[in-house]
Amino acid sequence: MDLTSIDTLSALFLHALGYWWIMIPAVLIGIVMGAIPGFAAHNTIIILLPLTLAFDVETALVFMTALYCASHLGGGIPAILLNIPGTGGAAATTLDGYAMTKKGEAAKALMLCFVASVIGGLLSAVVTLFALPVLAKAGYYIHSVEMVVIMLFGLALIAAIAADDMLKGLIAGGFGLLLGSMGADHIYAAPRGTFGFLELFDGVPLVPALVGLFAISEAIVMIEQRFVVTDGSTNKTVSWGETLRNFAFAISRWWQITWTSLLGLLIGILPGAGASIAAFVAYQQSRLYSKNPELYGKGHPDGVVAPEAANNGVTTGTMVPLLAIGVPGGSTAAVMMIVLQYHGFPFGPRLFVESPMLAYGVIVAMAVSYILMLFMIFPMARYMSRVTVVPTDYLVPIIVAFSLVGAFVPRAFIFDMGIAFAFGILGYIARKTGYHVAAILIGIILGPLIERSFMLAMRISNNDPMVMFSSNIGNVLWVCLILTLAVPPLIERRRKRAAAASGATAG
Amino acid sequence: MDGGGSKERLRLVDLIIPVSAVAYAIYYVASVRDFPFQAQITGLLLGSLVGLLCTIFFIRFTWQARRSGIRIGWADLIGDPAVRSKRVVFIALILLSIFAIPWGGFTLTTFVFLTLSFFLLGVRPLTRVLVTAATAAIAGWLFFIVLLGARFPRGPFELLMSYWI
Repeated sequence: MDLTSIDTLSALFLHALGYWWIMIPAVLIGIVMGAIPGFAAHNTIIILLPLTLAFDVETALVFMTALYCASHLGGGIPAILLNIPGTGGAAATTLDGYAMTKKGEAAKALMLCFVASVIGGLLSAVVTLFALPVLAKAGYYIHSVEMVVIMLFGLALIAAIAADDMLKGLIAGGFGLLLGSMGADHIYAAPRGTFGFLELFDGVPLVPALVGLFAISEAIVMIEQRFVVTDGSTNKTVSWGETLRNFAFAISRWWQITWTSLLGLLIGILPGAGASIAAFVAYQQSRLYSKNPELYGKGHPDGVVAPEAANNGVTTGTMVPLLAIGVPGGSTAAVMMIVLQYHGFPFGPRLFVESPMLAYGVIVAMAVSYILMLFMIFPMARYMSRVTVVPTDYLVPIIVAFSLVGAFVPRAFIFDMGIAFAFGILGYIARKTGYHVAAILIGIILGPLIERSFMLAMRISNNDPMVMFSSNIGNVLWVCLILTLAVPPLIERRRKRAAAASGATAG
Repeated sequence: MDGGGSKERLRLVDLIIPVSAVAYAIYYVASVRDFPFQAQITGLLLGSLVGLLCTIFFIRFTWQARRSGIRIGWADLIGDPAVRSKRVVFIALILLSIFAIPWGGFTLTTFVFLTLSFFLLGVRPLTRVLVTAATAAIAGWLFFIVLLGARFPRGPFELLMSYWI
């Protein structure tokens, strides 16, 4: 199939657009489910699997891709309005999104989130369409050593968000890493730190931990205030003119959206990496290269744009290994593989030979879904900030009731609701005593992933620690990581010296 | 940023997280003591890291406490007396609903939990409490169980409705 031909591209686009009737409900379901903690895209798709298997293969894939993309956008909504990320990928969005809501800028934060998601997702879909063969090769060059370093970039965010009290931040991150290492080890399957619970043999389940640390703990904190925002009048419905100005402001961050979504795309290609890692790394990198890193965490627009663009860049990225080499890049891609298998379609290179319209159609369907979402974001950004003026008397019980059951969904264990409760209490204590819950979550997410890659690298090298410096790509990444950690304090010191010098001159 | 606390005030409750982290680190390391070295290495590395960080924290805490004193008490953690009882009862309600859901099912447990929670948090009159709780519980049942077919815990309400639908 010649993708340089306008005819081919327009045929693909019109073909995907022909599925608008299934895309619109999928997008609506995806946004709603993405906004409820626990109902990530793959859980929703698994719940709806009987429905998707009843469709023909193209309709099923279009339905799933549209739902997948929309759920990534939906996850940012409660992160901004309630400090409760709908998905793991939106955890980093809480850092500045909720701070903007607290300042009465909920509508602006929502618009930044929606525009970053839509433009970021659309851009990464277009790049993937043209660069699929090149991108597919990236997966071959990234091994366990490189994965360790990439995840350490995400871990470095702990230091960044713990700027107020570095020691407390590091303790929270270390505690999270330790909790994340709970469960069977990767070589001997020996259970570690599980308190004897069989349900913890596979480690701490991420969704109940997310629900507890953010939703339950935030709800318990919220009881003491009448509204989410203490001054309930500051997040009133904005006018259409203000909505358009917010849209223009969001578009003005186009460069930030572009590079963070492409970063998300690259991370999404790596099997095992996902939206959470992409969002944390993008936030950390965005802060690193910002002229105003001190504003991050206090309601900086780029702190919303970076994680949202990155976690939507991941959506197409996870499809690349599935389509190009037949290895799913994430859990949603794995469910899609099951659907392809069920309908007797090949995946990997054969799919492009035997059914090119289907193979490229998945990517184009993602782009079309994002275009459809573009029309939905205006009313959503205008009216959704009203959630913050609902009294907490109503909001708190509803948040707890529906997020607790969200903790139950992935594994259907009542035990997981108990885990969510336990993490809720831990999160509440952390919030009240100045330990950052996001730092604990980063540790829980990245801990087991780093451990797995580290143990794999050690196993392959017969326990030679120098394996960590054995690849060229890995070494380049190590240098970048060291610069990431070392440069900001040096810049900060230079700024302080310059400020002191200019103050002395002025005095 | 969330996080809440302020570093200027020295409170005994600030020790809860590091003490919990150290306790879990000790338990974690103890749980791997009979395992092969490769299964122990993560626990030993992370346990040492957490132990080191917490030791530095305890030294800093003790040093500051000698200079400024410590505020002992739970008020910093559970809030002022006006919300304290509400908060404790609400946490108990969450715990009770988790225990009740296998028997009561999603819809009935959600309805009872919402009714009691709304009432506890000050929603009045009772009619509004009941109508709001019933609407939310039934909307959840319709959306998740009927429309999406989610495998939520089933109880008397779901079983009764499954005969009718």
